[in-house]
Formats: sequence, structure tokens, C-alpha cells
Amino acid sequence: MGGPLGLELGLAVLMLLVFFVGLFMRSEDKRRVGVLSAIGLVILFGLAWRAEGGTEMFRGALVQDELALFAKRLFLLATLIGVLASLPLRAAVFARRATEYYLAILASLLGMLILSSARDLILLFVAFELMSIPLYYLAGFLKREPEAVEAALKFFLVGTVSSAVLAYGLSFIYGVTGTTDVRGIAAAMSTGHPMMLLGMLLALGGLGFKIAAFPFHMWVPDTYEAASTPFVAWLSVAPKAAGFVVIFRLYLEGMGDRVLFWVPAAAGLATVTIIGGNLMAIPQQNIKRLLAYSGVAHIGYMLIGFAAVSANGVAMMLFYLVAYLFGNMGAFLVVEAVEQAEGSEGIAAFRGLAQRSPILALCMLLFLLSLGGIPFVAGFWAKLYVFWAAAEQGLYWLVLVGAVLTVVALFYYLLIAKSMYIDAPERRDPIPVPPLLSFCIFLCVLGVVITGLYPKPLVVAALRAAGPLF
Amino acid sequence: MTLASFPVLSIITWSPFVGALLIMFLARRNARLVRWLAVVSTSVSLVLSVAVYVAYDREAAGFQFYEDFPLVPALGINYQLGVDGMSLLMILLTSIIIFAGAWASWTVKVRSQEFYALLLLLVTGVYGVFVSLDLFVLFLFYEIAVLPMYLLIGIWGSSGEVRPQGVFGWAFGRTGVGTKEYAAMKLTLYLLFGSAFILVGILALYVAGDSSSFSFLEMELTQFDPKLQSWVFLAFYVGFGILAGIWPLHTWSPDGHASAPTAVSMLHAGVLMKLGAYGVVRLGMGLLPDGTLQWSWLVGTIACVNIVYGAFSAMAQTDLKYVIAYSSVSHMGVVMLGMATLTEVGLNGSVFQMFAHGIMTGLFFALVGLVYEKSHSREIFKMSGFGRMMPGIATAFTIAGLSSLGLPATAGFVAELLTFLGAWQSSYAWWLFPGVLGAYLTSVYVLRVTKQIFWGPPSTDPHFLNLPDARGPEWAALWILVITIVLFGVWPSLALGPVDTATMPLLNRLWVLQ
Repeated sequence: MGGPLGLELGLAVLMLLVFFVGLFMRSEDKRRVGVLSAIGLVILFGLAWRAEGGTEMFRGALVQDELALFAKRLFLLATLIGVLASLPLRAAVFARRATEYYLAILASLLGMLILSSARDLILLFVAFELMSIPLYYLAGFLKREPEAVEAALKFFLVGTVSSAVLAYGLSFIYGVTGTTDVRGIAAAMSTGHPMMLLGMLLALGGLGFKIAAFPFHMWVPDTYEAASTPFVAWLSVAPKAAGFVVIFRLYLEGMGDRVLFWVPAAAGLATVTIIGGNLMAIPQQNIKRLLAYSGVAHIGYMLIGFAAVSANGVAMMLFYLVAYLFGNMGAFLVVEAVEQAEGSEGIAAFRGLAQRSPILALCMLLFLLSLGGIPFVAGFWAKLYVFWAAAEQGLYWLVLVGAVLTVVALFYYLLIAKSMYIDAPERRDPIPVPPLLSFCIFLCVLGVVITGLYPKPLVVAALRAAGPLF
Repeated sequence: MTLASFPVLSIITWSPFVGALLIMFLARRNARLVRWLAVVSTSVSLVLSVAVYVAYDREAAGFQFYEDFPLVPALGINYQLGVDGMSLLMILLTSIIIFAGAWASWTVKVRSQEFYALLLLLVTGVYGVFVSLDLFVLFLFYEIAVLPMYLLIGIWGSSGEVRPQGVFGWAFGRTGVGTKEYAAMKLTLYLLFGSAFILVGILALYVAGDSSSFSFLEMELTQFDPKLQSWVFLAFYVGFGILAGIWPLHTWSPDGHASAPTAVSMLHAGVLMKLGAYGVVRLGMGLLPDGTLQWSWLVGTIACVNIVYGAFSAMAQTDLKYVIAYSSVSHMGVVMLGMATLTEVGLNGSVFQMFAHGIMTGLFFALVGLVYEKSHSREIFKMSGFGRMMPGIATAFTIAGLSSLGLPATAGFVAELLTFLGAWQSSYAWWLFPGVLGAYLTSVYVLRVTKQIFWGPPSTDPHFLNLPDARGPEWAALWILVITIVLFGVWPSLALGPVDTATMPLLNRLWVLQ
């Protein structure tokens, strides 16, 4: 498909299609628009593989480089898994209002796609909002439940404030440089104007909310707990990946020769995020909250790659994102399966899972091991590569902090493993898993295991994607 | 056909793994087949280890039975295997212990398929660490050797009978001290904490070395910056030292060993702790001569604390399994002391002690397992006069005890004598005294336990009437271990010959710097 906007246009067509089909569908059960979205996403995902990098539009404001392509494939894959896993959702509200649900997801995806190509501050900000606003709506989708409303409100307030902070920061940058083009900013950066650095710092704070770095993470656990699990699985991966792409654009591409300025800030943010996320995950009894905090910690590990400020660092972070996609989405989907059967999200719901549904338990174990960074599954390489990138820059202390805190992470992952494998089950019957959900879990397992056993192709792709930034 | 013509080390390493796969896929709900598969796959390793031990060319020395296969060429990761005199002995130790362990856990009935599969997986990891010459591959094997432990202890372990009391009773009760879940989690986290340090150390050497390869043989030729060597040595010492049970990071070991099922205690105390000591010698001393010279005072002093502290702790225990577990902490101190002396006899003694203690403690845990299985008790002061009912077990226990306290004609004697000689020759001659004190204290607690349980007046407790002696397969385990203890006790050069070929080049590199 030609041109940098090809995928976005295709997605827009799909959205219109979903909208009209949903409009004219007479039955109360509109779940079939989900199937339509999924088919459309499969086609778009296929097209994304054939898209060529290195084109740009609107005088460089929109660029389809290797980084954008890598990110777009990742978003499409995550959304595809999220949509597929949403299809078996049983609550009546998902049947009645399916059009809205899928349309909102697709709209947010459109924001992400544009975001990963944007190289202009205005476009960047607009795309960011396009991505974020449907998320607030989706978080409160179960509007009859007070928790969902509270979570959505919290998410919305924090999100808009962070957008405001981001816009405020960007305005400083524009004020000093007089341009909204990222490359123009990079060129002006060599003056080292203090207001410009202040603007960048403010914008980093705003982005910190989006990626849920440590002091800006408080919306995460509540939102995750209240929203529907397949959506949360997607929310925990795709928007954060988008936030990282913006960070790459602004703080690596847009910093010119001042790029090393960020090392202390990024390393500090990584340290507090890893420590904070991991420590707060320990006392959680609700598995979605636990995964929320562990997700915060994972963001910290990815920030290590940012702190390395090198092509290797970015590439290893992209690798980490993919490993995180499979591991985290997979874990959430297993939670969804157990939740549907047991009606509970507590760790106790997993008691004796290994004796009830050994294969489901094994999948969960693989995801947990991957998240914990154990060899032969994807997460190990992810952590190793990020550490390696940091060690190359001499950040040994950061590597040590990260490595030691993985042990804390393994503690709470092993608590789940203990529940599954060591504790005796309360009931003996196997857990029924809807076929589509098991297909998605299977996809994630494949991703975790194949990347774990043979990481090379992904490393090569990630290195190619990181290339244009340096 | 000679041994060198096929990848014998790979076969030794992966044979248990193949056994584990077969058990998982073929032997569903067939406990008998499970056990036989386990015995067969471990015997393959045992026979080949003995063959390699015999065929190893002591004149040529160095790394032999070399295998090399590129895994990730871009990063310089190779599947590189080889053994020298030291790893040779460790492989033999592993083979003997796991072979005996497979026989000793004959009575595991609950979920036995998964038990044996995990146990064999663990053994593959242990073999892998001893034979790999690529630091990265070594690390991977190390992780395999640590993780299955969590499930092995958590599922098949036993919780202690002695409930926590006293000042810390409340806190202990809250955290579940003494339960198998607690022990499993503690052990896993401690060892993974250690592996974090090891990983950082390995990455630092990889980045600092100019060959951009993880190969031990290439790193050995690199002269690392003394400052880097200093902190990397510390990282390795802490990382591997946790596994070797160095004070004050040893507390996972008594809990873990006491809670683990028999075969796992045997393997863990017998082999895995040696894996830690081996790591310090191989990576720490082998790659970082400057770092070793800077920190040998610390290693030796902590080792002295280990010896005495472990012995006193063992004396205070009332649970039989905890006595043996703390004696391991004390004896691992001897191992670390021997290597810290930086003398030929000391280091040889240290490696010999790894072997001797491995066999001895394996025998101990096998016996404790048998006693527990028959009497359902681990409380020392409830048991009495078992020697009349189970003479075989009693005799084997006494032999293990005598080796533990260093009686001549047992392997323990040779090891301790060499180590103490080394300590006397080293720059810190005072290390000798804590060492000898430890040996003395060992005789106190070992003889006390042996007398109380086996040789005292017969118990009047109705639970302890007519207890059977060891049976069929259990004899196999006991005989193998007892014979090894005595054989290496009366013929130490059987082990010291190859070991010396490995330790001398290592020490020569150190002495040049001194």
C-alpha cells in the first residue's frame, strides 16, 4: 500500500464500515461487528508487513520510517489480540453496545498509528488526544458499575491534566524555537536555552502519566481493576508503547547534540519506577491490580533502555515491548478465562489450577516466567538486552538495581505459581475456556516461547527500527 | 571407538533431560515406568562420567572432551563444553548423588511423574554448569538448576515439626517460618538474588573484554582492569557465595534443606552448594586474579565464621534434618577457607572437600529420609535406640558421621587435613584455629546425635516399635555412597591427581601477581 498514510486510511475505512454495519444491524446482539473489526485488522496487519519504510508526507510532518512501521505492526497485533479476546465477552452490555466498543478501540488505534508517524508537535498532540479520549470512554464502558465510573473518572482527570502539562511543555519549546517540526527543534537545541529544557522536562512529566512511570501511575491499578479484562490487556500494552514512541521522537530525535542531557533523568525515573512498581505489587491480592503494578515495574525496565541513549538501547526497548506484549496480554487473558469461570479476580481463584486445567496453568506459568525474566522465554532476553545496552554505557548501578528488583518481581509471580501448582484445588472440574480466548492465549504462548528460543529475528528487526533515530 | 569421538559431555548433561521428557510424555500414571526411566537416564550419566574420569588424560591436563557449537554468533555465545580436573570430579559427584537419589526416592508416590521430571531437569542444569565453558550458557544452566527447586520443595517437601517459639514466635508465625512454602520461596529468592549479581558480573566482563565473546577460554587470556576485577570478584563472590552458603547469606540453606524431599536435599546440599563454590573458583579465581588477591582475606575470614557459626547452630537444633543442614553450612566454610588460602594444598583440599562433603551429606540426607519415612519423626530427643531395629541404617549413619568429623580413612579426613595445612601455610595462619575448633564442635554434635538416635537405650514409645531396616532399592543408595566415602578416604590420590592438574595453573597465575 503506497504512501505513509495508507494504513491510517485503511483503518478509517474500516471504522466507517463498522459504524454503518452497526447502525443498520437490527438484532440486539451486535457482536458480529467485532468479527468484522477483527477481519479488518487481520487485513491491515497483513498490509503493514508489506508497507515500505522511508517515505514522508506534509513536508516531513508525517513520516513512515522503520520505527513507525515497527510500532504500527506492534499496535495492530496488540489490537487484534485485544479484539479477538473481546469477542467471547458474555455480559449483555457488550452485545448491545458492541459497535461503540469496537469503534472506540479502532479510533484509539487510529490515534496510535498517526502518533507513531508524527514528527510535528501539533500533529503529535492531536494524535495523542485521539488515542487517549476513547480510552477514557472504554474504561467506563460498564457504566452501571460504580467502580468502573470511578476508574474512568480518575483515568480521565489524570489523563487530561497530563495532556495539559504535555501541551504546556510543548508550548515552551515552540516559544523558544519558533517551530513545531521535531527536526527543527533538534537543530535549535544546540543553543541549550533553559526554557527549552524546562519545556522538555514538563512534557516528560506529561508523558510519564501516559506510560505510567512511577510517581504518575496512580490511575493504573484502579482502572485495570474496574475495566473489562480483554480491554485492560490491550490497554496495558498498546498506549504505553505509543507513549514510548513519542518519547523516542521527542527526546532522542528531537534533542540534537543535547541528547545525553536525559541520562540522569531517565535513569532516575527508571530506578524509582522499578522499585516503586515492584514493591507495591507485593501486597496485592487482586491479580489484576498485581499485574497493574508489575506493569509499572516493566515500564521502569523499558526506561533503562531509554536511559542508555543509544541505538542499542532503543532497539532493546522495542524488543522488550514485544516480549511484554505477549507476556502481559497472555497473563491478562488467562485471568479473563479464570474470571469467567470462577467469577473472581483474586489470586485465590487460581488455587490448584494445575490440577484442574494443566495446560492453562502451564500457559500462565510461561507468561509469569517471561514477565519475571527467566531463560528460554521471551522476557529473559528482553531484560538481558536492556541490561546489556545500559552496561555498554557504563550504567552498571542501574543494571544492578534492575537485576536485584527482578527477584522481588519473581516473589509475587511465584506466589501465583504457588497458588496454581502447590495449593490444593477447591473444585476438580476443568475451567472452560472459550475457543477464541484459547486461540489468543495460544498466540501469546507462541510469541513468548518462539521469541524465547530464537530471539534473533526480532533483535534484527528492532535494531533496524532504532536505526533512523541516531 | 574412543570417548573423544562423540559428544560425551553433552550426553552426560542431556541424558537426564531426555529422561525427563520421556517421563512427561510416556509414563503417564505409571509410577514404575517413571522410576525406571529415571534410573536408566541417570545411570547413562553415571557410567559415562566414570568413563570420562578414567579416560581423562592427566599428563595433558587442561580442558578435554571439548565441544563447540555456535549458538548466537553475533553476540559471541557458543555452546562450549569441556572438563578439567576440577569439573571432572564435580561431574562424578553429581552422577553419584543423583543416581543414589533416584534410588532413595523410590517411595515418592504423590504426583511422581512430575517429581522425577523436575528432578532430572534440575540435574541437567547442574551438569551444565560444571561442563560449560561459555559464561552465558553457564548462566542459563545455573537458572535451570535453581528454578525447579521451588516446585520440588513446595509440592513434595515437608514442613518442620518444631514450631517457632519465643520472642520472634509471632513474626515467625506470620511469615510461616518452618513451612515448606516459606522454605521454597526463601530458597528461590535467595538464589535468584545471587544470580542477579552473577549476571551483572558476567555482563561487565563481556563488555570490558575486547574479544566480545562469552567464552571462558578467551576471557582467561584477557587482563581486566584491577578496579573492575575488584568489584566483579565481589559480585561473583556474593552471587555464587549465596549458593555456597556463606555467612550471613546462608539462612536459606537450613530451611530449604530441611523442608525438601529426600532426593532434593541430597542433590541440593550435596551438589548445588558445591556449584556455588565451583563458581567462585572457576569464574572468580580463574578470571580475576587481581580481584582474588584483593579479597582473599574476606573470603577466608567469612569462611571461618561459617565453620564455627554453622557448628554451633547445628549443636542447638532438635530437628535431625536441621542438624545436617547446619553441618553443611559449617562444612562449606571449610571449602571456602581452603580456596582462600591460595596455596596448593589448601585449594586441593577445598575441591576435595566439595566432593567429600557432597557424598557425605548426600548419605546423611538419604538416611534422615529413611529414618523419617519409617518412624515419622525427626525429633532427635524423641527417638532412641534405633540401632537394634535398623542396624544397616545405623551403621551407615555412623560412617557418615565419622567422615563428617574427619576420622582418618574417610574422605572427610583427607579434605580437612589438606585444608588446615593450607590455612597454616597461608598468610593468615590464624585461620587454622577456627577450622580446628569447627572440626572439634562437629564431633560433639555428630556423636551426640548418633548416640541419642541409634546407640542409646531402646525407646519405650509405642510408635517406634518394630521399625524396619532399609529395603531393596534403598540399600543400593546407601552402598554406593558408603563405598565412595571409604574408597576416596583410603585412596585420596584417585581424586587429587586430576584436581592438582587443574588447580596448579590457576594458582600459578595468582602467584605471578603476588
